[in-house]
Amino acid sequence: MPKGLIHSKNDNVCILTNDVKKGEEVICAYLENPSEYVIIKSSEDIPLGHKIALSDIKSGEKVIKYGRPIGIATKDIFAGNHVHVHNIKSMRWSKK
Amino acid sequence: MSTIKGYVRENGSVGIRNHVLILPLDDLSNSASIGVSKLVRGTTVIPHPYGRLQFGRDLDLFFHILSGIGSNPNVDSVIVIGIEENWANKVADEIVKTGKHVEVFPIEGNGDLKTIEKASRKALGMVQDASEKHRTEVDISSIVMSIKCGESDTTSGLASNPAVGVVVDRMIDHGATVMFGETSELTGAEDIVADKMANDKLKEKFMNIFKEYDSIIEREGVDLLGSQPTQGNIKGGLSTIEEKALGNIQKLGHRKVNCVLDYLDPLEKAKDGGTLCFVNTSSAAAEAVTLFAAKGSVVHLFTTGQGNIVGNPIIPVIKITANPKTSSQMTEHIDVDVSDLLDLKISLEEAGERIYQYMLRVMSGRLTKAEVLQHDEFSPIKLYISA
Repeated sequence: MPKGLIHSKNDNVCILTNDVKKGEEVICAYLENPSEYVIIKSSEDIPLGHKIALSDIKSGEKVIKYGRPIGIATKDIFAGNHVHVHNIKSMRWSKK
Repeated sequence: MSTIKGYVRENGSVGIRNHVLILPLDDLSNSASIGVSKLVRGTTVIPHPYGRLQFGRDLDLFFHILSGIGSNPNVDSVIVIGIEENWANKVADEIVKTGKHVEVFPIEGNGDLKTIEKASRKALGMVQDASEKHRTEVDISSIVMSIKCGESDTTSGLASNPAVGVVVDRMIDHGATVMFGETSELTGAEDIVADKMANDKLKEKFMNIFKEYDSIIEREGVDLLGSQPTQGNIKGGLSTIEEKALGNIQKLGHRKVNCVLDYLDPLEKAKDGGTLCFVNTSSAAAEAVTLFAAKGSVVHLFTTGQGNIVGNPIIPVIKITANPKTSSQMTEHIDVDVSDLLDLKISLEEAGERIYQYMLRVMSGRLTKAEVLQHDEFSPIKLYISA
């Protein structure tokens, strides 16, 4: 059973639908066609609802979800990393 | 076509609750209003902190909200209590236009106790009259409803919001009216919402409203992280306003938006077919639901990820979650659980059907958990400081 879902084909993050432990291999299914999936090894404990990187995202590169940029990486993110406010920021309203 | 059992009002609008409303015009009138509600069983009182020394557009919005709440189809009759008569009459005169029984009681020259006595005698009769109003079978096309999410997380955008989108499509296809808002929370997806507008005029009106909000945030020079997304949103995995907005708009379904309302605009239904309306609102739960109710919504679908518990005194708020933790930890607040969607055990269509069927029951009389737990949050939007 998938433990994560991906909104759109070009997304570089997957949303975890279960709590995931460090080192766990996570099946992430595509919402558009759930029989398609990718397997990604989690580099840390990540809670349900949070994002895991599907590929390496360099600092300054866009994080893609729903097929759209949702923010910019503030440091290098590696596949399997937890993606959240500690390593991405909004492209709006942000003073830093 | 679906039917529900509702109350048909004098002006033809359809309500799903039958409140006798005790409406304080201002903060000073809360005590007397609460006094009446304690003496007379079956009344609904909505205390609030405003109504003194407001001016301009802010005052107009205040009157718009109070008149709208009193005029809501879920309300049978109204008692307005105000410190002075003029402003109380202004609100009462608007409500009377709907054909409802309205009475005004000024406190100046009377004092609380005399006001409570006089108002209670009237309220007694109103409650008896209301008790004889009965539900009749009405078509769902006459329903005006609203949607909004709160304490959202990524499960909202994945599952509960798109499931509400299924319901919205169905209601519009039935000819009903659906309102949505949350202006600041569309940031990052405003172009998608603009593209959903039925014509260029609506698109321009929407973008002007959106830019006005954006300019307030710019002017204040703030970084909204922690407020938008909220701390709860961030805890649930939402990292940026763009991510939150893209999840938010999953609720809108697939129909065109054929109505855009600024704060003071009255609801106008499409001549034929359904109406999907953007309403300029803040994204704060109680403020937005209050404004929707003032514009005539009789029921609200509220999706939550981390567990928002908001209710409203005159319209039922139906809580929907797709987060299995929230559903089990906050069971007394969640009306509909669609977390099966996360495990792909049910289809989106089935999740929408689950919400729709529950909504029909609530419309026909079943109480929501927020109603039973007395979540009576009433919060007029205030635009700026008082004089």
